[in-house]
Amino acid sequence: MARLTTPPLRFNMSPVWLSRRFLLIALAGVLSPAVAVHSEDSLRASIDRHISNTWKSNQLTPAEQSADAEFLRRVYLDLVGTIPTYDAAVTFLDDNSPDKRERLIDRLLDDPGFARHQAEVWDQVLFGRNPPGHGTDKRQGFQTWLREQFVANTPYDQWVKAILVAEGNTVENGAPMFFVQYRNQPEEATEAVTQKFLGVQLQCARCHDHPFEPWTQLDFFGTAAFFARLKVVDAGKKDKLTMYVIGEKNTGDILFTGPVTEQEVGKKGQPVIPKFLHGDVLVEPELPDDFKEDRNFPNGKMPPKPRFSRKDQLAEWITQPDNPYFVRAVVNRVWAQFMGRGIVHPVDNMSEANAPSHPELLNELSATMVDRKFDLKWYIRELVNSRTYQLSGHGPVEEAMPFHFERARTRPLTAEELLDTWNVATGYEAIQQTSGAKPSTDRYAPLGSGYLVRFFGTPSNGVGDFQGGLHEHLYLNNGGISKLLSSAKGGLYDHLMNSEAPWEERVDRLYVSMLTRRPTTEERKRFVAYFTAESNPRTRIGEAIWVLMTCSESRFNH
Amino acid sequence: MRCPSFEHLSRRALLKGTLATGAGGSLINWGSLFNSQVIANEVKKTQKRCILLWMNGGASQFETFDMKPGRPTGGLFRPISTNLAGVQVCELMPKISQCMDKLTVIRSMRTSQVDHPGGIHLMHTGYAQAAGIRFPEIGAVIAKYLGRDGSDLPNFIKIFSHGNTGAGFLGPKYQPFSLNPEGRLPTFSTSSLKPEIESRRNSLRNFVEDIYARRHKAETVRMHREAYEAARRLQNVQSVFKIDNEWEKYRDLYGDSAFGRRCLMARRLIEEGVPFVEVGQSSYDSHADNFVWHRALVPPMEHAWAGLMADLEQRGLLEHTLVVWMGEIGRTPKVNNRSGRDHYVRSWSTALAGCGVKGGVVYGESDKDGVDVKDNPVTEGDFFATIYQALGIDPDTEHYNGVRPIPIAPFGSSVVQDVLV
Repeated sequence: MARLTTPPLRFNMSPVWLSRRFLLIALAGVLSPAVAVHSEDSLRASIDRHISNTWKSNQLTPAEQSADAEFLRRVYLDLVGTIPTYDAAVTFLDDNSPDKRERLIDRLLDDPGFARHQAEVWDQVLFGRNPPGHGTDKRQGFQTWLREQFVANTPYDQWVKAILVAEGNTVENGAPMFFVQYRNQPEEATEAVTQKFLGVQLQCARCHDHPFEPWTQLDFFGTAAFFARLKVVDAGKKDKLTMYVIGEKNTGDILFTGPVTEQEVGKKGQPVIPKFLHGDVLVEPELPDDFKEDRNFPNGKMPPKPRFSRKDQLAEWITQPDNPYFVRAVVNRVWAQFMGRGIVHPVDNMSEANAPSHPELLNELSATMVDRKFDLKWYIRELVNSRTYQLSGHGPVEEAMPFHFERARTRPLTAEELLDTWNVATGYEAIQQTSGAKPSTDRYAPLGSGYLVRFFGTPSNGVGDFQGGLHEHLYLNNGGISKLLSSAKGGLYDHLMNSEAPWEERVDRLYVSMLTRRPTTEERKRFVAYFTAESNPRTRIGEAIWVLMTCSESRFNH
Repeated sequence: MRCPSFEHLSRRALLKGTLATGAGGSLINWGSLFNSQVIANEVKKTQKRCILLWMNGGASQFETFDMKPGRPTGGLFRPISTNLAGVQVCELMPKISQCMDKLTVIRSMRTSQVDHPGGIHLMHTGYAQAAGIRFPEIGAVIAKYLGRDGSDLPNFIKIFSHGNTGAGFLGPKYQPFSLNPEGRLPTFSTSSLKPEIESRRNSLRNFVEDIYARRHKAETVRMHREAYEAARRLQNVQSVFKIDNEWEKYRDLYGDSAFGRRCLMARRLIEEGVPFVEVGQSSYDSHADNFVWHRALVPPMEHAWAGLMADLEQRGLLEHTLVVWMGEIGRTPKVNNRSGRDHYVRSWSTALAGCGVKGGVVYGESDKDGVDVKDNPVTEGDFFATIYQALGIDPDTEHYNGVRPIPIAPFGSSVVQDVLV
């Protein structure tokens, strides 16, 4: 396996920058992925070695290995965004072969649901629940394109580069939609690109030099200068959607006026030359003296390419393998997606003031990812095959995302995962498929995105931790999900109501369908009693399904 | 049992002390923390809270608190004298003119967002809209700091609301509970199940939750259960929202208007201990026929507002309840060719009364035509800082959105000390 050397951290040696040299050297120590890679090991074994070393040094007892059922539900939700059907669950639980977990993982990684789910996860990383508008709420073109990248397992660096180069239009090509969010807002684009793809937070340096990180306002505006000439052009309609194109002018600069607190009305700023973060300034060819630029890109037409594209230069620099920020940002982000906390946490704040919990592991993950040419599917396969990922969620630790990964993390399901889980669990999806009805084009059928996204869209306290709210329970308690409790043939309700099997078996069916596990004796007894307390169990069946749809065990992936 | 004075004890300190010494009853239920109903009532009475009277569209300062009689910008209405010597208000506000001893009027607002969406966001959060951040509304911040965990009623209630960011990054726990203009509850807030069915379903759910909690200790699970309990408890207190009977008695005091009814609802909720209620009145955006609109809107508004203040005072609640009067913008000095006034934020007016603020104060001054602030300009940040300070919440309190610290009043804001008690 190749060894990665310290990437050259280039900096301009002018006196202005010399004063920061000390900081940069310190940062290089944090960022360099140059460590020995254990080539004889699989990455999964290496992960477990690093993690268990810190258990030892902190005298922690990790949770036991997850039970099959616990693992089954967890890995389904993480890889394909839903739970297994009753049949799929029983098949796995009754399988006695020792390699069944690895085979299940392989199968799920090749399932169409994998690409769909991972694309949804990244769509949220790139846009979030409240994108800044400008047509980004209708971004099916982007979403389809992103899903195709996961279907083809396009290397991560390549699809990110496509987003940053932003060729084509938003309906037919998808990728340009990312920049449409930041129409005429190069500063917003700067914050987003550095945070999402490089894992660093420059936004403080927008108004003042960062108080305790090595970011200056000129780092911020040096990056913003790459976006200063971008224009969102409306190139016509297709399928009732506007085709946006990202055009780039030949002239135009970001003007720098100093710290915000020293701003004065009417003060003119200095044009800022584009500069790579902690790197060189961009060398641009000079425009001819008689160069005259058209004032605007007319709507309805593809804008011409610029003579020299700043944006393409930045895209190239960001995604090159020896960019220390880029690879670490992605391995850390995907780690957190499956393991809970990032090794650097929060994942988009990599800095010397926010040290990694397992620095050697992070170095190794980064080096291996470069070596594997940014193959996300390979990386995810290693993560979920690790012992660390497959620990039980039981135990005394109260943190949702334990610092030392000594217990599986608990995370809330997304709005999409909840819906898909309920659709599978209640048999609603199966009923629709067998009914011969035309499948709905609404991603959120039958409940609708309005309620789901409103009540389950952002269950967070602002710094990434789960926070419960009254409204989601009012929705669940008072009728919001009743559409899913269909009594049609083939659904769970119908089975419980009309099966001739003993109640004990029907309760087993209920538990496996809803929670992907068999009930304990205690649970079986309680539910049988609930169903048989009256001669007609009709309403009680609906109540029991509701209980298992809304309980904590359903709400979280654990 | 000795009844200590609660004047010196913060709610937090009191809560902590009670938790440490209490008999270990259910922590979920605020009421059971106290072994004396008297003490509980006393705490309820002295707890600080806030009512926001929201003039959507932007009420005109010239037709309310900042008259310019005899000037070209003065408009059609006459000033009237008030119970504050030398201070006049618009003739559309006869009842408020007799409450001026209880009000602080700020005649020198200068804010930064001149359109409605921007202004509504600004005057609900203290911040201009930004692409990457969902700022919390003032109601969410107050719910967080003055709210009661485990209360039956939500801590942030809006009646005919106009803000649109809700809890923002503070999270779902502080989301507003929004009644419609007629005071009806939001969708999904009322159970349609028979009580005995709801009860047995709930006990089955508790059985399932108990089993899960035995082995899963993550704090998220506990928080999920608490939120579920809050949703259930709301069913027990829905009678608070039914005000038909009380409305009969208070119709004259508040004036027979939809806004008056909303104000009565707000008083009831405040009295029940809800720390923040926003009451909206709409249609002040008078680009045409400004005087017709204000003649229609201001009298019922001022009647209800004066009634609300009297009612709060009579119940001993006014000194603990801050009443804020504002919209998102003011209106232009120039009357346009449709007899309208357009948007204006260079100089306009707001008002405060009750908890923590002086009465009988007119702060700041606009110039002779109301074109600009003459002295003591108050920005949106200063205004929010002053509100928080009046309520005993440190305006420098920071929240985090990701890794970025965001103070509840924007960095650089100053409290207007002159209007505080």
